[in-house]
Amino acid sequence: MSSELKIKEEVLPEFVSVGLCGEVDISSSQVFKDKLYKLIEDYKRNIKLDCSGLTYIDSTGLGILVGALKKTKQSENTIIIKGLKDNIKKLFYITGLDKIFVIEE
Amino acid sequence: MENNLDSVQLMLPSKAEYVSTARLVVSSIANKIGFNIDEIEDIKVAVSEVCSNLVKKTAGSCNIVLIFNVLDNTLDVSFKCPCFTGEIFADEDEALATAIITALMDSVELHPNNETIISMRKSIGEKI
Repeated sequence: MSSELKIKEEVLPEFVSVGLCGEVDISSSQVFKDKLYKLIEDYKRNIKLDCSGLTYIDSTGLGILVGALKKTKQSENTIIIKGLKDNIKKLFYITGLDKIFVIEE
Repeated sequence: MENNLDSVQLMLPSKAEYVSTARLVVSSIANKIGFNIDEIEDIKVAVSEVCSNLVKKTAGSCNIVLIFNVLDNTLDVSFKCPCFTGEIFADEDEALATAIITALMDSVELHPNNETIISMRKSIGEKI
């Protein structure tokens, strides 16, 4: 079965824009992790995660985001998350992750 | 629905690609009961977390059985997985999943070393 997640990246001078479309769950998480970690290592700059097309993320995906944030902090950068749908924003609040990520509307 | 207990069972291979099937089925059942969209989303997320955890622990070598019991305005979901023994969500790195499930469902019961590994329940309008 094909992955139900599409990842679109764009490298800009100030940051790397990563657009997510679809679902991050156990079946797509490895692809997501590999791609995101590689972008962080290759470009060492802020990551802007556009989640306006993200319909679902589970604890595996949230764990990957936490790991990715630690990686970006190593090069004194951060991850900015924007466009979260309400159902996913709720998971950030429940887990307390809203306090460690920069979340934009 | 009035005072009748309907039961639906779903058996899936413990493989990552079937977890979305569990989400789809539970969404349909929750919709039939009359849960609103937000509540359906909560149930879907909680069910998916358990399935994903069992997939990780049994590495595709088993089946996961989900039993959905419907009573009036309540959905009770139980999980069995013959290859799994011990306690689910006992590891430290599973804290995110535990936090999510307990926040979204009205009640969650773990059954260590039991045929039924975990059961969870949600009623219409109980938790926001």
